[in-house]
Amino acid sequence: MNWLAFTPELFYVAMAAVFWGLSMTREDHRRDFHTALVLSAVGVGVSLASAGATADLFFESYRVDIFSQAFKVLLACGFFLVVVLCNELSGVARRLHPEFYLLLTTSTLALMLLVSSVHLLTIYVSLELSSYSLYVLVYLRKKRPRREQTVLHYFLIGASASAIMVFGIALLYGTTRTMYVVEMASILASVISQPAAVVGFVMTLAGFFFKLAVFPFHFWAPDVYEGAANQLTTYIATASKAAAIAILVRLTSLGHGSEALAQVLVVLSIVSMTVGNVSAIVQKDLKRLLAYSSVAHAGYVLIGMVSMNPAGYAGAIFYSGVLVTLKFTCFMVLVKVAADGANITVDQLAGLHRRSPILALALMLSLFGLCGIPPTIGFIGKLLVFTAAMEKGYFTLVLIAMINVVISLYYYLLVLKAAYLTEPKAGLPPLALNAGDSVLAGALIVVITVFGFYPAPLIHIARTAAAVLL
Amino acid sequence: MPLIYADIPILSGILLTCAAGLVLILATPATQPGRIKKIGAAASGVTLAAAIYLYLAYDRGIGGLQFAEKISWIPSLGISYFNAVDGFSLPMLLLTGIVFFTGVLTMWELEDRAKEFFALIFLLVLGVYGLFMSLDLFFIFVWYDVSLFPMYLLIAVWGSTRKEYGAMKLTLYLLAGSALILPALLFLVIQSGLGTFDLVRLMAPGTFTPEAQRFAFVLFYIGFGILAGVWPFHTWSPVGHVAAPTAVSMIHAGVLMKIGAFGVLRVGIFLCPEGWKYWAELMGLLATVGIVYGVLAGLRQTDLKYVIGYSSVSHMGIVGLGLATVTVDGLNGAVYQMFAHGIMTALFFSSVGYIYDKTHTKTIAELGGLSKTMPRASAYLIVAALTGVGVPCLASFWGELVVFISSFRVYPLYGTLAVGALAVGALFILRVVQKTCYGPENEKWAHLPDVSFALGIPRMILVSVIVLFGLFPSLLFDLIQTASIPLMAGLP
Repeated sequence: MNWLAFTPELFYVAMAAVFWGLSMTREDHRRDFHTALVLSAVGVGVSLASAGATADLFFESYRVDIFSQAFKVLLACGFFLVVVLCNELSGVARRLHPEFYLLLTTSTLALMLLVSSVHLLTIYVSLELSSYSLYVLVYLRKKRPRREQTVLHYFLIGASASAIMVFGIALLYGTTRTMYVVEMASILASVISQPAAVVGFVMTLAGFFFKLAVFPFHFWAPDVYEGAANQLTTYIATASKAAAIAILVRLTSLGHGSEALAQVLVVLSIVSMTVGNVSAIVQKDLKRLLAYSSVAHAGYVLIGMVSMNPAGYAGAIFYSGVLVTLKFTCFMVLVKVAADGANITVDQLAGLHRRSPILALALMLSLFGLCGIPPTIGFIGKLLVFTAAMEKGYFTLVLIAMINVVISLYYYLLVLKAAYLTEPKAGLPPLALNAGDSVLAGALIVVITVFGFYPAPLIHIARTAAAVLL
Repeated sequence: MPLIYADIPILSGILLTCAAGLVLILATPATQPGRIKKIGAAASGVTLAAAIYLYLAYDRGIGGLQFAEKISWIPSLGISYFNAVDGFSLPMLLLTGIVFFTGVLTMWELEDRAKEFFALIFLLVLGVYGLFMSLDLFFIFVWYDVSLFPMYLLIAVWGSTRKEYGAMKLTLYLLAGSALILPALLFLVIQSGLGTFDLVRLMAPGTFTPEAQRFAFVLFYIGFGILAGVWPFHTWSPVGHVAAPTAVSMIHAGVLMKIGAFGVLRVGIFLCPEGWKYWAELMGLLATVGIVYGVLAGLRQTDLKYVIGYSSVSHMGIVGLGLATVTVDGLNGAVYQMFAHGIMTALFFSSVGYIYDKTHTKTIAELGGLSKTMPRASAYLIVAALTGVGVPCLASFWGELVVFISSFRVYPLYGTLAVGALAVGALFILRVVQKTCYGPENEKWAHLPDVSFALGIPRMILVSVIVLFGLFPSLLFDLIQTASIPLMAGLP
């Protein structure tokens, strides 16, 4: 067995152990943040080093290929970026910081396991490991009104989604007599027209619709985004979403272009983006607004899966990278503006252009990116999924998505208006960014625009990753 | 169609100059607005010089696409970076150069957040230049949006009169346009089965079925037409023009609205000629309604900028009417009118902008007798007004004349209505001029300074261009014909 292919996962297990040890030490001498920063940076290196690995592990229930490794690099980067934002983790009590990093690490580990899993039970166990880490993490925030309610809400919807998923897995097993995704693919080809297979399939996807906040499993998103510590919300909005997209792509590729499945996805996609965008318009809290925008984006991503062709899967994979970059940029601005770890409203962005021009620029580009306006990577993501859907003749779907883009522009512009048009409230000092933060903001700006103009290398990676799926 | 590649990539040079100007402006500290403006003037001057060179060096005997540059950009999607100019795009490049350069000079006195202002203007113009020279559908769409999204901030930050409302309305309308364009583009690219975004390859006859062309043309016509101010999608335009600061109004009415008309021509008509013929009658009707409506709405306005805003709707209607005739003359007239209206409206906004900067009012009733206090400022206003009216020997005359002649042949009724409306329009514009520049002098403005020589330079450039092309229309018609005759000859 090729253990080298398993190094990233082992590394994150070790990292979790380090924080477990730290959580048992006295808090005055600890350097949690710096430990996390160094370890997560090494994690990026480790996952990059094993990016080319290929292997079938654990009785072929675990596959390491370019698809899984590309996502592992993305997850490691996402985790590292979230840790970078944690230097003032004021939303969580000081004594709980090691636990915070510990659970964040286990969640990342779970997501990495998830993107490699090719056996339905491994997939289920990984998903639950990630979800349970997140349930606790949401609770770690300092005491605030309705904290328990939020966590319970999250847990109950999550548990229901899991229950539906397990039932779906049972149905699938009943029709195909296998849990292995690869075997299932070949058997499903002949039985996909049976109602039991389609119903089982859609129910299995439900667990990931929950993670991705697709309608009707999106109700947790605004509350949890609002209730979780800002850094944790960043994590939920970026890394967790990327892994959900990965596994949804992996699973929908089993569908063999089933008409019934495609119709379900079309409906979910249209409803998700419309509900998300329309609800976002009235939000005052920036995190709630971004939560609804996540729901809308889940709808756009599903367009890539609806087309059920390699171009669509490549589009969805590309889109996951786009979401990580753009959402992270938004949340970085949010974390920096909300220095005391509190939530902020859209109005509190007032005068950002004076308080920190570089953050304002980063925010503007990420908002235009989320809206899908060229020349940002957000546009390329939309172009790829739209082109794929058009190849399958979904003209109306693309048109509806574009109308949604116009709706979303309205609330993105409201955010932009707060940041660029209003003057800062009297007494608010310029935001103190350290050199690292400025470099990071600059790097994000460059990534958003340069790859928006010249996306060919990233498209190549996405296509290569999608090619190993089928 | 001949396709001649460039030895030196002048077209990319124009784009790189804009990009370099943008980077330099961003790198200059905001505390040095003087240097920022000098960088702006130098970079815009270079692009103007390049546009003039292209205009002179274009070989009219050969015609077709010249100065072409092509690099494969995203091979997996069939997207290439493909620039070239023809008889339709060259006048537009020249127009952009002139309006850009004079626009930057007009804003020489801007103090408030000058760095961001000029950076956004450069971004906007980068998109405009890119769109006029690009022949790849992907890039056409990218440049289209690049030129739109700086508008929101430009109007909302530096504008006046309900600026946030105007900016939001404009941005949403224009993005709604691109929401129609992108699906239509992708639809055609997929329909062709060629796996390419290359406009020249896609426009080969027989690529698309007549049904597909009719369907896509409507989307292009509405999508780009919103930006061109086609009635009934024009309502953002007067509001946006009034709210925008002077240079932005100039660039917006002068160049951006032309992007809309140019998009209809370059993408709609080039790719879907069947659709163009099929919908021509409707285009003519909408254009005529726009002409009449613009004039009638303009009659009721009390704000100088609204007057120009509505006259723009009316003048862009003439462009639409020209395109709707489906004749060589109609095309020639439409493109000529695009150029002439761009220069005219830039001069108009620039002179009104000066008056507004000094008096802080745009209300016609509060002005009066300006020809005594500000003789030079009112002279520019009067020249612009006369051009708008269509006085012979000034540029707009030829565009309007040619469009009307061809429309009388094809749609006698529309032509008559349009000419009648313009006669009424002439009356009302002249009354506006009379009320602002002549009549009793308003004591309040007696102490205000007139346009200085330095500030007059951009306006003088615009006036001389108007007169030059008014006296020698063949300077432009010869060029446009190299594109319009082959286009009509190639029609099925």
